[in-house]
Amino acid sequence: MYDLAEKALKAAIKYGAKEAEVYIMKSQKTSVSIQKDMIEGAKENITTGIGIRAIVDGAVGFSSTNIMSYIDEAAKNAVSSAKTQDADPDWKELPSYQKYPTVTGILDKDIQNMELDECIGHTMEMIDAARATSGIIVTSGSFSRSHGERLILNSNGIEVSEEGTGISGFVDVITNSGETSTAYDFAISRKNDIDFAAIGKNAAELAKKSQDTISIEPHRTEVVIHPFAFSDLIENTFIPSIDADNVQKGRSNLIGRKDDIIANEKLSIYDDGLLEGGIDTGIADDEGVASRKTTVIENGVFRSYLYDTYTAGKDGVESTGNASRNSYLSTPSVGSRNFIIDFPNCDIVADTDNGVYVNTVIGAHTANAISGDFSVEARNAFTIKDGKLDKPIKSLMISGNIFDMLKNINGAGTDVRKVGGTITPSIRVSDMSVVG
Amino acid sequence: MHSVDFFDTRIIEGTTTSIVLDNGKIEQISVNFTKGAAVRALKGGSWGFTSADGDFDIEKAIRAASELAVSMDDKSPKEKVKMQEIASPVVSNAPKVKKNPLDISLEEKVSNLKEFGKYAKKEGISSSSAVYSESSYKVMYTDSTGVEGEYDVVRTGFAISAVASRDGMYQAGRESRFGVTGYEIFDKYNAAELAEEAANSALQLLDAKPAKGGSMPVILDPELAGVFAHEAVGHASEADLVLEGSSVLENRIGESIASPLVTIIDDPTMHEYGYFPFDDEGSQTEKTTLIDNGVLKSYLHSRETAAKLGGTPGHCRAQGHSRPIVRMSNTYIDNGNSKLEEMLEEIGNGMYLIGSRGGQVNTGEGVFQFNAEKGYLIEDGKLTTLIRDVSLSGKILEILNNVKMVGNDLKMNSGRCGKGGQLVPVTDGSPHLMISEAMVGGA
Repeated sequence: MYDLAEKALKAAIKYGAKEAEVYIMKSQKTSVSIQKDMIEGAKENITTGIGIRAIVDGAVGFSSTNIMSYIDEAAKNAVSSAKTQDADPDWKELPSYQKYPTVTGILDKDIQNMELDECIGHTMEMIDAARATSGIIVTSGSFSRSHGERLILNSNGIEVSEEGTGISGFVDVITNSGETSTAYDFAISRKNDIDFAAIGKNAAELAKKSQDTISIEPHRTEVVIHPFAFSDLIENTFIPSIDADNVQKGRSNLIGRKDDIIANEKLSIYDDGLLEGGIDTGIADDEGVASRKTTVIENGVFRSYLYDTYTAGKDGVESTGNASRNSYLSTPSVGSRNFIIDFPNCDIVADTDNGVYVNTVIGAHTANAISGDFSVEARNAFTIKDGKLDKPIKSLMISGNIFDMLKNINGAGTDVRKVGGTITPSIRVSDMSVVG
Repeated sequence: MHSVDFFDTRIIEGTTTSIVLDNGKIEQISVNFTKGAAVRALKGGSWGFTSADGDFDIEKAIRAASELAVSMDDKSPKEKVKMQEIASPVVSNAPKVKKNPLDISLEEKVSNLKEFGKYAKKEGISSSSAVYSESSYKVMYTDSTGVEGEYDVVRTGFAISAVASRDGMYQAGRESRFGVTGYEIFDKYNAAELAEEAANSALQLLDAKPAKGGSMPVILDPELAGVFAHEAVGHASEADLVLEGSSVLENRIGESIASPLVTIIDDPTMHEYGYFPFDDEGSQTEKTTLIDNGVLKSYLHSRETAAKLGGTPGHCRAQGHSRPIVRMSNTYIDNGNSKLEEMLEEIGNGMYLIGSRGGQVNTGEGVFQFNAEKGYLIEDGKLTTLIRDVSLSGKILEILNNVKMVGNDLKMNSGRCGKGGQLVPVTDGSPHLMISEAMVGGA
C-alpha cells in the first residue's frame, strides 16, 4: 500500500501539483443477511481504492480509482482538474507533520479473524432471541464484521497508517397476530462485545408492546426521545449548523453565535475523536490532522464549530480534526466524530408525570437543516402516565425546531447508547407539538 | 464445475465526473474511474456474494462466492431457492446520446456551470451552490444458464440550491434535473431559469407562515404526488418486502385497494433517469402496471421473487457492485381528467402542498411521511397564505382510497432512491391529486 501511495504522490508532483495528498483505503468485510426468519446468504467483500488530491494555486483537483494500473492517469487528472480552476486565496496548505495521540479499543483481533461460523452464530442469536417472543417474524436483518486499513500520505510530510475493526447487528421485526406493528433494534461496536440476543429480544418486545394502540388529540406536551430518535434528529438538524463550511457559506443558524447561550445550562456536547472504542475514533482525521476532543456546547453555551484544515485556514484557527470521507471516492469535508450528548441523568420515564415517549422517527432527513425545523412521524410511541409508559399510540407526528429543543431539554435517561457516532441518553423535551 | 445451482457475474466499468460550484467559486472537480465485478452464487437456499475491484480475476471471484454459498447451505440449510428462467435480454430502443459529455472539455463544463450558477445569486440570497455530474458506464452480465447481456449508459444532470436569509431565518430552494442523456440536457432544460427559480422559492419562503397541523383535505402537486406514488405505493409493491412479510400489500393482488381513479405504473424502459434496458440479473425490462383503476395488479419482481410468487422479473437493481435487490425505476400515477381549478373549487377549504424535501415509508405498517417544500392554505377555493415546513403522513391504503380527483398534467421528477443502504437513480411522477382527508403536520 505504501509503495502505491508514494508512487501516486510522486506522479501528482511530477504533473505539476504544488501540494498533493494520497488516501488509500482497504477494507475486508463479511456480512450475513436475514430474510423472514432465515439466513438468506453471506457476502464477502474486499475493497481497495485510492483518492488523489492535487493542489495548484489553492485550487483542488481530485481523482480516484480502484484500478491500480490507472494511478498515473488519476494523478494526471487530479492535476489538470486543479489547473482548470481559478486560484483560491483562502487555501493555506495541506496539514503538515504532527505528533499523533494513541487511541484504544478500535482494533479487536477477534473481529479481524472471525470465521464464517461465528458470523452465522451471531446472526442466529438475533433471530432466535426475537422468535422467543410469540407472534413475531424477523422480516429482515443483518450481521457484519469488518477490518479496514487506511493510509494517508501528503507532500508536507503527513504519514498516517491505521487499522481498525467493526461489528454490527440489526433486525427489523413485525407482529403476525393482532394489530400489525413493527420495530427494530441495532448495535454497532469496534470490539467484539455486542449482545446479539438482546438486539432480537428488544426489537421483538418493542413490537409486541406497540400493539393495541390508541389515538391521541393534537396537543403540546413533554416528549421523551429515545437515543435512536434523538440521534436521527440531531444528525439532520444540529450537526449541519456547526459545520464550519456551512457557517462560512451562510448556511447555518449559528453564524456569529459563539459564546451565546443556546441550550439548557445543564447540557454539554462534545465532539471526540479519541473516545475509547468509539465508532469514529482514530489517531487522525481523514486528512491526517491529529484527533482531539472539542467542546461544542459547554453548560448551555455554544463554544465551537467543527473544522477541517481548509475551513480552519479560512477562519484563521486550528483544525479541530474533523475532516471526514465516506470512501476513497471523495475529498474530505467537515464531519462530526464521536458526538457525545451530556446531560445529568435520572430514571427519565419515572420522572415524567405526563407526556409521550418516542422510540424512533421516520423522515428526519426531510428536516430543514439550516433553520432546524422538523416535522416527523414517530414510531413505537407511547403515552406516559404517572411516571410509567402507558398506551402505545397509533400514529403521531412530532414537530419542532432543534434550537428551541436544545433550550427546552429538561431531563435525560440513564440509557446512554452508541447510535453510530452519536452517543446519547434518552432526552426529555418540554412543550413539543404532537399531532395524533 | 462450481458445485452450485446457479451463479452470475456483473462487470461494471466507467467514469464519473462532478463539478461543484459554491457561492460562485469552483469548489471541487472530481474524476473517478472504477472497474469491478459483483458475483453471486446459489446453493440450495443459500446465497454467496463477492465483489472484486479493479483488475480482478473473475474465476477466482466465482469460486469465492460459490464456496460461501456451499458453506452457508451446509451450515444453515433451507428451502431451495428457484430462479425464474429468462432469455438473454435484447437491448433495443436505447436512449441516444447527442452530445457525449466525454467529448466536451472540462473548461467548457466549468464555464457553463459558473454561468448558470450566477442566476441563483439574487438579492437576498445568502448562499448558493450548483453541481454538475456525469457518468458513463458499461454493464456486462452473464449467468450460469447462458444468459448474456451488455449495455452502455450515460447519465448527466445538474442541481442548484439557494439559501435566503433574513433576521436569523433561513429558507432553501432547490431545483435539479437528471436524465439518461448527454450534455444536451442543457438544451432540454434552461438551467439559468431553474437557478433563478430555486432562488425565488427560497426568497418567497421567508415570508411563509408555519403550518398548523391537523386532518384536512389536500391537493398534492405533481412532484409531491410523485413522491407519494414512489414512497407509499412503489416500495410496498416490492416483492422482496412482500415475501419477508413487511408489506401491507401482501395477499392483495386482484383486490381493489385504491380509488378507481388511481392507476400506478413503473416503467424502466422510459427514457428517464431510472431507465435500464435489462436489470442487474439479466432480465429484460418492461412496463409494469402496479395498480390499474384502483385494483392491485402486480408487484415488482426479481427472478427469485417472480419464481416464488408468480410474476415477471425485471426490477432487480444494485448500486455499483452491491447485491441486487428489488427496486423501482420510473414510477408514476397515470393521468386522469381533472384540472387544478376544478380541484380547488371542489375542496373549498384545505391545503395545497407543493414540491418535496423527501419522504420515508414503513411498508410493514403501511405508514408514510414526507415533507413538502411549501404549501398554500386553500380558503373558499382560492390559494391564500403561503405555508412552510409542512409535512404529510398517513396510512397508504387510507390515502389511496381518499383520492377523489386525478389531474391530467403528469410531470416526472428525477432523484435517487435509497433501500438497503444502496442508492439508485429513479424518476417519479404524477398529475395533481385531490385527497379528501390527510394528516398534515406542522410546527
